[in-house]
Amino acid sequence: MKRYLFKRILLIIPTFLGITLITFLMIRLAPGDYTSLKAGLQGELRAGQIGQEILEQEKKLYGLDKPILVGYYEWVQKFIRLDFGKSRKDGRPVSTRLAEALPITLTLNLITLIIIYLISIPLGLFSAVKKNGFFDQGTSLLLFILYSLPSFWVALLLLLYLGGGEYLDLFPLNGLLSDGLEQANWWEKFLDFSWHLVLPVVTLTYGGFAFLARYTRANLLEVIGQQYITVARAKGLSENKILFVHAFRNSLIPLITLMATLLPALLGGSVIVESIFSIPGMGQLAFEAILSRDIPVIMAIASISALLTLIGILLSDLLYALVDPRIRLEGKK
Amino acid sequence: MIKFFFKRISYLFFSFIFILGGCHPSKKIKDPFILNIHLSAEPDTLNPITSTDAYSSSINSHIYENLVERDKDTLEIVPLLAERWQISKDKLRYRFFLKKGVKWSDGVELTADDIIYSFNKIKDPQTACAQLKVYYLDVKEVKKIDKYTIEFKYSKPYFLALEFCGGIPIVPKHIFADGTDFNTHKNNRFPVGTGPYKFKEWQTGKKIVLVANENYRGKSPSIKKVVYKLVSESNVALQMLKKGELDYMSLRPIQWVRQTNSDKFNDKFYKLKYYNPSFNYIGWNSRKSFFSDRRVRQALTHLINRKAILDKLKFGLGKIVTGNFYLYSKNYNKNINYLPYDPDQGKKLLEEAGWLDTNQDGILDKDGQNFQFTFSIPSSSKFSERLASILKEDFSKIGIEMSINKFEWAVFVEKIHKRDFEAVSLGWSLGYSGDPYQLWHSSQIEQGSNYCAFKDIEADQIIEQARVEFNDQRRTKMYQRFHEIIHHHQPYTFLYCSPSLVVVSKRFLNVKIHVMGLDFEEWQVAK
Repeated sequence: MKRYLFKRILLIIPTFLGITLITFLMIRLAPGDYTSLKAGLQGELRAGQIGQEILEQEKKLYGLDKPILVGYYEWVQKFIRLDFGKSRKDGRPVSTRLAEALPITLTLNLITLIIIYLISIPLGLFSAVKKNGFFDQGTSLLLFILYSLPSFWVALLLLLYLGGGEYLDLFPLNGLLSDGLEQANWWEKFLDFSWHLVLPVVTLTYGGFAFLARYTRANLLEVIGQQYITVARAKGLSENKILFVHAFRNSLIPLITLMATLLPALLGGSVIVESIFSIPGMGQLAFEAILSRDIPVIMAIASISALLTLIGILLSDLLYALVDPRIRLEGKK
Repeated sequence: MIKFFFKRISYLFFSFIFILGGCHPSKKIKDPFILNIHLSAEPDTLNPITSTDAYSSSINSHIYENLVERDKDTLEIVPLLAERWQISKDKLRYRFFLKKGVKWSDGVELTADDIIYSFNKIKDPQTACAQLKVYYLDVKEVKKIDKYTIEFKYSKPYFLALEFCGGIPIVPKHIFADGTDFNTHKNNRFPVGTGPYKFKEWQTGKKIVLVANENYRGKSPSIKKVVYKLVSESNVALQMLKKGELDYMSLRPIQWVRQTNSDKFNDKFYKLKYYNPSFNYIGWNSRKSFFSDRRVRQALTHLINRKAILDKLKFGLGKIVTGNFYLYSKNYNKNINYLPYDPDQGKKLLEEAGWLDTNQDGILDKDGQNFQFTFSIPSSSKFSERLASILKEDFSKIGIEMSINKFEWAVFVEKIHKRDFEAVSLGWSLGYSGDPYQLWHSSQIEQGSNYCAFKDIEADQIIEQARVEFNDQRRTKMYQRFHEIIHHHQPYTFLYCSPSLVVVSKRFLNVKIHVMGLDFEEWQVAK
């Protein structure tokens, strides 16, 4: 077990370097770079030849004149010291910008994920038990309708009808905290914060039920078809006991694979939801960074999510072995 | 059991929603002296030397001041931080005399040293301000004469020199010269200026707040606090405006025409419209064989129904322009009529230029080459996208096959830079007294902004002579002739000058439209 763990952790290093190298290559090789973008069409081309020289000068400031691999090597050196560099947009350390955006996105995603899990797993279970019944078909129709509604449209409708202005004035239109509440006590702040979160969370959750509910349903149905369930029935156990003790717990095993995607998913923000509700989260940060070729920010986000994905995969492999005794990590001696 | 569990959860969830929806914090009484302005994107920095975007310059214009400014109506250059100036006979030396006793908002006095420092920072290779450096290439040096006098020395005469010298961004030396990096200086996010407002706070992704500057030498503005609220979705911003959370925002044409016409809205808001010096256009790359012939470019302009497109895509909000100068400046030649939509005339011109459908395949050809080209547009522009599909259809009726290529902005800029395009949809925003040199002089074909490769000997001469012509009337005459030449050659199909559409709350009085737009510094708060 220990040897296996050691091997796996060591393997993370080359994989991580591979991922970040490819990311770095992609940004540097993509057409357009930060300086020419910033100077824009007017500035860049304004003074002809001399303008070109000035532009080259400026590229030097950002290290864009160096060969790509040298740039990558310098990035790795800094990364090892946990230095993400400075964002080109506003000259602040990338870590400061991440520290602003991360908690917001993390909160939003945690709440969203919890709600999605709490609602779709019971839904999936229930529809598997009453397979092809009215409830099963009704919910699956409803969930797929929800799944197919575009989120920017729903978000704008929610705001239009519940956000005040012309119709119901129930929820705030933007941001995460009302003006003038900076000095309020924590309880007032918490209430205000939750009040601001309702519409964004609704927008983020409603489309997420379908996948997980269907996944749970399919897993449970597969388990119910197993021989040991037939054995349990033959033993004369009550249907409830079969379902909750034997079938349900075993059907949760495949959900562990989802763990691998869960960790990085916590970090990723939705550009659409964030921009509609004016929430300064990770989605907007990453999107803006890519459009403006802000390499330090792109690399920081890419490397963190790469690392989290790798850790997520490792964790889910370990958990698999833990819950399912049939799986062994190392060959039997 | 499951049912019970589910019920409970959903009960909790929904009651939570309704409780929150019902009991939002009590609304605070609004301070009437606060102006809430919509900001659709966040500025990178509030350092006037390194910033490039329009958002920061609009905020900075209330914090920082220049030596001179333009009169908002006559567009003449008038004193601001300088009380007067002298221009030497050879038009090479510009001496500015500063007003005495001007204070930065922290109380320190503004002196000649601040201007020298700012100029040196612009010239410094370590400063990331390529877009600004190009303006000051011809300034050989800036000399301090005494504490309140400075002199700019130009290497050659230029009619815009006064505007450039007088418009130099000025930052406080005592704040920035502290040994830390200028590009990432902490005061890039905490500006200190001499203007009527001073910076209060910047909450990233949320808002930027300015308050009236108590050290300001002039009359204190009636609006005491200005909050720029960051809202990237303009539909949401409009709703916030209706709800009273914003007082001042720009509208999109569709919002102007469809969503802001109720009586209730008009009771509460002024709807104002004014034209900025800008135009959009279709550029024909005359390096390409089809577009090298003037008759072909004229024909294409005849084939584009500019009036119908304006009505359809911009709800008629805009004016068709025929040349490169600002529509409301003296340089714009009003005697030129735009080439009307006339497919027959277009066809005739194409025939004259030798484009006929000789092989009867429905596509015009000449010397065995079909008339097929690609129209490049930036993916961020909805207008260009819809324009392209209209053109594609109209051109195909005549026998011209056009394909459309959309590019992300960064890629688009690079394509243009490399001259790798056939036709392109773009716009220019200009200064109020534009010098056509960068866009139209033949020396700018390879490296400058003349990327459609327009070349005309008379045009080149006019441009060069106008740059050293200090008499406004004579220069205007020259530019009007230049406008005729541009119109004749149609290197671009000029499209529209589009208006700024803004709404302002009627809480404010004295809201006036100047030639240069609105200025909230003069607004009064209604009693």
